[in-house]
This record gives sequence, C-alpha cells and structure tokens, in this order.
Amino acid sequence: MSGKMNRRSFLKVMGWSGAGVALTGCDMPTTVTLEEGKEEVVSYLMPEEYVIPGVGVWYASTCTQCAAGCGIHGRVREGRVLKLEGNPDAAVNNGKLCMMGQAGVQGHYNPDRITSPMMRTGGSLAPISWDKALGVLEEKLGAVNGDRFAWFTGSISGHQSVLLTNHLDAMGSTNHYAHEVVNNAVSRAVNQDMLGEANPRLRLDKAKMIVSFGADFMGAGQSPVQYAGQYAKFRTNKERGLLVQIESKMSLTGGSADLWLAIKPGTEAVLALGMANLLLNKIKISDAGIPADVRTLINTYDVTTVARITGLAGDRIQRVTQLLSERTPSLVLAGAGVEGQAQGYATTAAIMMLNHILGNVGKTIESAGDFPFPQLMAKQGGTADLVAFAEAAKAKKLDAVIFHGSNPVYSAPKSLGLTEALANIGFKVAISQFPDETAMAADLVLPVDSYLEDWGTQVPADQAETNAIHVQQPLMEKLNAETKGLGDILLTLLKQRKKDEYGQFEDYYAYLRNAFAAMPTSVKNDAKSNDEFWNTALQTGVIKVDSGTKTLQSTVVSFAAPIVDDNAGLTLLPSPRLGLFDGRHANLPWLQEAPDQISKVVWDSWVEMHPDTAAKMGIGNLDLVEVSSAQGSVKLRVVLLKGMHADAVAIPLGQGHEAYGRYAKGLGVNPLQILDATTDAKTGELAMYSTRVTVKRIGPADSLSIVRMGTGAGDSQVGRKLVVTVPVEQVRRTEGT
Amino acid sequence: MVVKNRLINPGAGFARAGLAGMVFLVMLLMSSMAMAVKYDVVPPSGTHTGEDVPQPIEFPHDIHVKDNDINCMYCHTYARRSNVAGIPPTSKCMGCHKVIATDKPRIQQLTKYWEDKEPPPWKKVHDLPDFVHFTHEKHLKTLAFDREFPVENVKEICAFCHGDVENMTVANKVKPLNMGFCVNCHIANKDLGAPGDCWKCHK
Repeated sequence: MSGKMNRRSFLKVMGWSGAGVALTGCDMPTTVTLEEGKEEVVSYLMPEEYVIPGVGVWYASTCTQCAAGCGIHGRVREGRVLKLEGNPDAAVNNGKLCMMGQAGVQGHYNPDRITSPMMRTGGSLAPISWDKALGVLEEKLGAVNGDRFAWFTGSISGHQSVLLTNHLDAMGSTNHYAHEVVNNAVSRAVNQDMLGEANPRLRLDKAKMIVSFGADFMGAGQSPVQYAGQYAKFRTNKERGLLVQIESKMSLTGGSADLWLAIKPGTEAVLALGMANLLLNKIKISDAGIPADVRTLINTYDVTTVARITGLAGDRIQRVTQLLSERTPSLVLAGAGVEGQAQGYATTAAIMMLNHILGNVGKTIESAGDFPFPQLMAKQGGTADLVAFAEAAKAKKLDAVIFHGSNPVYSAPKSLGLTEALANIGFKVAISQFPDETAMAADLVLPVDSYLEDWGTQVPADQAETNAIHVQQPLMEKLNAETKGLGDILLTLLKQRKKDEYGQFEDYYAYLRNAFAAMPTSVKNDAKSNDEFWNTALQTGVIKVDSGTKTLQSTVVSFAAPIVDDNAGLTLLPSPRLGLFDGRHANLPWLQEAPDQISKVVWDSWVEMHPDTAAKMGIGNLDLVEVSSAQGSVKLRVVLLKGMHADAVAIPLGQGHEAYGRYAKGLGVNPLQILDATTDAKTGELAMYSTRVTVKRIGPADSLSIVRMGTGAGDSQVGRKLVVTVPVEQVRRTEGT
Repeated sequence: MVVKNRLINPGAGFARAGLAGMVFLVMLLMSSMAMAVKYDVVPPSGTHTGEDVPQPIEFPHDIHVKDNDINCMYCHTYARRSNVAGIPPTSKCMGCHKVIATDKPRIQQLTKYWEDKEPPPWKKVHDLPDFVHFTHEKHLKTLAFDREFPVENVKEICAFCHGDVENMTVANKVKPLNMGFCVNCHIANKDLGAPGDCWKCHK
C-alpha cells in the first residue's frame, strides 16, 4: 500500500478501544457492549510507520467555524481526528479555542453531510456523478453571459479567495456577494472613514476602561477568542480595567461587565453625543478635529435631554463620562445592536467619535499595518450584499450563481423576497457540506469537504499583534469518497475556463505548493528550501507576516443627527450568541445542548422580555406568545429577563431551520424571517435591530428546556450561596466609591 | 520456573520461610539467574467463565506461544507503547506465513484475506467501558520494565489479566476485569504506587 491512507484503511482500526467507534461509523449510535464477541476489532492490513494505535498525534490547522480564523491543533488517532484545541503559535487565539471551534468535529462527523453531487431533475434533487455534475457546470457556465454570473459566499480569505476572484475574472464578472449575518460592516465603513483603516487593531488589553455600546466582543463577535484573551489581560492589569456595557439586551459580554446599563433601543447615538457634550463642554477636552456641524449637534444634547431620551439616569451618564476622561487610555466600542439600526452609520460614527475625543486612537486602536498580500486578505461579508443580491435577482439581472459558505435562503428576511426571486436565476449551484435551505433551493449541489479534510489558507480579518496567514491542512482522509475540497472545486472551474493557465496544477494541493514556493523570502523565515518552508508552515500552522508599522489618522466625519421615535413600541433584537451563532451551528448537538449564556435555554427558541413589560401585557414566564412585525409573526415562549430594556424584546438567532439535517430542522423559530427590509442609508447594510413588533399572549405557560440553578425563578439561587453578594453600600463603605 | 513461582505467590513464600531459608533462597536465586527482579508484585485474583468466541480464523495462541515460544509483545507490539495492546497487522502474520505452514487450512484462510487486502474481522474478547482509562503501557512499565523482569517471560505478567493464553487457541476471557478486580489489585500493590484515586481511571 502506498504511503497515503485510503478510506478503508481508516476502518481497519486496530486497538480495543477505538474499534467500536470506528466501525459503527456515524449513522448509528455506537453500540457499547462489554460482551465478548459482539464487537469487531480489526487490524491494519499494513501498519503505517508513524501510527501507534491508541496514541494521538497533534497536527496544526485552521478553524473555519466562524470568520475569525483561529489556529487549531487536532488530535489524530488511528487516522481519525478526535479533539481540537487552540494552536499556541497562532497569535489570534493564543492556544485557546471557543465552544464553536471545539464543536467542529461534530460538523465533520455529522451524519447529515451531503455525500454525493445532486442535480434537480423533475423538481427534486437526485444524486449524480461528479463527471456529470462538472459537465453540467461547464455547459451552463459556458453559456452564461459574464456579468449575469455571480458568486455568493460568506467571508472568504486566503488562496481560495484568490481562486474565486480569478474565476470571476475568467467568467468576465465582478459579482461577488459576501454575506454574513454576524458582521461589523458598518464599523468597518466608519473606521475606514475616520481612521483610514477598516480593520484597525483593537487593544482591549491596553485600555483602562472600556465602554461598549452593545459590542459582544467575547460572544458573537468578530474574533471572540482573541478579544476574550485581551479582556482577561484588561482585567488582570495592574490597574484593573473597568468595563461598562450599554445595551438593550444583556449579552455574554454584558454579563461580565462592572456596570451594565439598559438603554432604550435606538437611542445610543443620543447617549454618545451627550457623553461628547460632557467631555467637551464640562470636562473641557479639546474639540480639535471635530467638524462644525457635529460640534453643533453635540451641543444640543445636554445631560437632561439625554437622560430623558435614553432612559438612563443623568448622574450615571456623568459618572461614566467622568471615569472615561480619567482612566486613559480607554476604548469605546460599537456592537451589532448599534450598527444594525436604521441610522447605523451615524450612530456608530457618534460612538467612535468618543475615541477621537478621548485620544484613544493610536493607543488602544492601532494600525494593523499594510498586509503585503492584499489579494489574500479577507473579503468580509455584510448584509448589504444580501440586499443587493436580492435586488439583482428580483430585477432578473442574474442567470447563474454559485453559493458557498452562506445560507441566504435561511438568513434573508422574508421582506427581501429572496426566496421567490431565486426562481429568476436559471442555474443555482450550491457548494455545501450540508443540505441547508440554500442547497435545497439549488439546481446543482456539490458536496464539499469539511474543513478538517481540506487544504487552504485563512487570513484573519482581526489580526492579533503579529499579522499572519493561517494554514489549513487535512487532519484526516475524507470520510466520504464523493466530497471535494473547495480549492479543488474552484481549480476545476478555472480549468474549464483557462486550461492553459491552470492545467499545470493537478490539484489544489499542487496549486498551494506552487503559491507557497512563490512567496517572498521575507515570510520564509530562513527556510533553506521551499520544502522546508512548506513543512514548517504545516508544522506550525502559521506564517508570520511582517506588515510594518503605520500610524492611524484620527478624524471625525460628519454624520446625520439621530432620529428618535418616542412611540416606537417594542423593538425586536435578533440576538446572536456564541454557539449557534447566525444559525450555521444549529446542526451541532453540542452547541444545541450548551445553554444560552444568559437565559440558560437549550434546543429551542424563546423570546426575552423584561418582567415589567410582560406584566403590563398580562404575560407570565413561559407563556406562549405571538411576536408580530409588519412582515409576519412567530409563536414561541417567553422567558422573563431583567437584563432587558423594557422597550425591547429579543429572539435569539439560530433556530427555525426548515432543512439543515436532523438536529437543526424543525426546532424553534427564525426571527430573521420577520425583520423589516430597512437599510442604513449610508452603507446599505440591513437595519436588523430596528424592526418594531407587538407581543400577544396566545397560550398558557408550558415547559421550555431551561437549565437553571434551581427550580422556579431563573435568577434565584434558591437559598444556596452559589454566588456571594454584598450590598453596594457595604462595598462603598469599605472600598470607597 | 523459579521466577514464575516467586512471582505468582511472592509474599507468602517469603513470610513462611525462616531467615536461613530466605538466605538460602536468595543465594539459590542469585546463582540460578543472572538478574533478579527489583521488587515483588501481588497479582490480581478472581476468575471469570468467558463465552467461547468464534473468530474468523481459529487462531492458535498455544502453537505460537507454548510450542514456538513467541513473545506476546512480538505480535501485540503496541502494548508497551500505548493504551491498547493492538491486534497485529495482517502483514505481520504474513511475514512468517508466506513460508511457514502454508499447507494448513487456517493459513490458507489467512492468505486469502491478505490477497483480498482485507484484514480478518476479529471479534473483541477483552474490553473495558469507555469511562475507564486503562493503559497497557503503564502497567507493563511498572510490572515488567521498571522491575527488570525478564522480558522473555512477560507472558506471566500478561496472564494477570488475560489468563493462561498460552494454553488457549482463540482467546477466552477468564478474568473478570471489573472494578473489584482492578481495585483489589491496586490496593494490594499500593506500595508500588498503584494509584487509588477515582480519577486515575475515571478521567
């Protein structure tokens, strides 16, 4: 047998303990029995030189469970990857890995993976061969007019991104839609305008105080492991950092804050302007660099006005602002709940302006330098591309589209009319690991390798102190013979267009070897040969890239005055969490089983309401209610939560799948479906946090799967001193105010 | 066989012997073998009547071990390196049986598997629940290698838990391998560092 393992040889697992798991595969629950002669224990035909049954070997690769691009180490035993941990060589996650990363093995071994190409014939998808699938692709894409072809992906980076761009070029198209539900697109636009860089390096660890306007940087953010690590340093610094979280629904980050303030949804810009007013007019910080119109706007928001509009106490606002001016450098952050407003850009700009006033730019917000390989940098997704794609589809501007790494049929609000508009696109291809909603709506489905089976490179958008390219290598042989790597599929597509240019590469591995060999010596780090460079890159999983030093500009742009609707009623917050994220992890039982960090619910959807709001409507805990927007309604149970503003209701994201395999399908509801199609005027991003809803009780209390510390009320410790508390007055007496 | 006797009933033998007897025994031992084991162990006690497990090939342990004196660890080569002892790869069987006993039906059966590139689907006989962490490597280290126990007699150590395999054809479970079996042995050998903490095995 050759040095390469084939699929069979993985089944030929030897060793007593591994056999039960390996042989029963993924389709059946493992039969665990100690009875003699019931299970098989099959040896290798030929032993692999480096394999000792029962002894794990760790290999480096890169996580793709979210767009953060953390480095991982995977433990491989008897040819199977069993456990993932963070790679200490990767500065982004510094050896740590979040729950979504840990659950990666469940996506890889998921029983609902697509195992064969499928084509729509007579209304339903039926398996076909790869040869036939590629033939259809060549024929259909050959016939399509270049500007009527599009790629629709999630955030994508590295050499896969390069090939994708090259394929678009080869097709004569520029239509690449990148869609992410959990994104920071508005912040990127503001940063680009005010700092000159879309993704500056945030240094939470250098701040003495953080005021976060709903930025869930430890939870469903852009790089949760990196920022949780920075937060840990922030907290253990000699002068312990102080975190103030201002949001309408308590997030995981809010749960860790020193001070958590519930703000009326949609009034964050007012608060930011009010704090600017205090800083400039009362604390007398220089207003240099602030445009005259913004200066005038600031002056209109005195503390009394701000307190009235935001529902926060005036002295609280003054105290937080005072502390901000004293604890320098500080850091002010804007999160999804702010960016996703109808005036998202203006609100985010008002908040980021505080960093300019406080002189944080250059101290806690640094330049990420000039990454020397711009073609490898992440093309980050947002929701503007989703809207644009829906418009293009509605206007019948597209004839063929290839989907990968995004599930727009699930995540597009009904009000965008995407599902219907897809009928206007004659040829829809989904490169997918799972039968998700988008794959089920496609005409051709191509099964793709899991990230633990595939080659690739990832360039994190939120780079840590050292900029790096993260290398992704297969940790084991493919589970299914019929899946192909994303890079291999892209290369095949390119070969169909430009045989002369790409015919030289047998596969994506060969392409990557060639691309690595062509990298400049500056990143090769004294490697004596291309082979040595390649081997080192695979061993460490990280290629460090010097991006030089650069200074950020610190400017303030003009932005629109806030518009506050005093009679808005209830605002719906479709809240993502570390776990199910935007719904992509709903098919991973570990993450379904992990309770929501705040409400402690598992395997279900629910709506969070403030007890006072619920009481006014005669709604009790766990009552069945209907939440209705202008676009539709969903029925689900109420969880009363004091970590809510009285004018907000929150429905967690992630459930309500109509497809996506046995674990995800049919559980809970999808709040994205009932969102308005309002967009932020400046960036075109969907205003996901601006939909008004009404709540109506339609049924009595019933059970919901809630993991709680006791029976009954969720925030009670039922007399057990699990968390010891003392009154604030007592702390003030002993430790001062 | 002196070594074997000492090993199977070590404490009792020494306790009953008087000082003179002990001196005599020690001298006898030293003269009869080049190397003595460094410390004694108390083997586990308990029996189990295992079911006969029909295997795809009726593998004769007796011919290999008793008649031909092949060391357990020659075939179960991972025992000293891993949690699991391992079933020998088919290539190892064929290393000898390309030429040895090729006229025997069982070897012809084996050769057929080899030529079909399919290892025989052996049935599992000895097993522990998934919540038990057991390692052959550590047990062999303590019971054989650290003791400087003669490696050629390692089957006596294996026999602690696997019984008298040299007189079996296909393996039969003859020791209970339950928690009492493990714990009693660990208690009896606690001076050797046999751990008594729950989490050493249930981790």
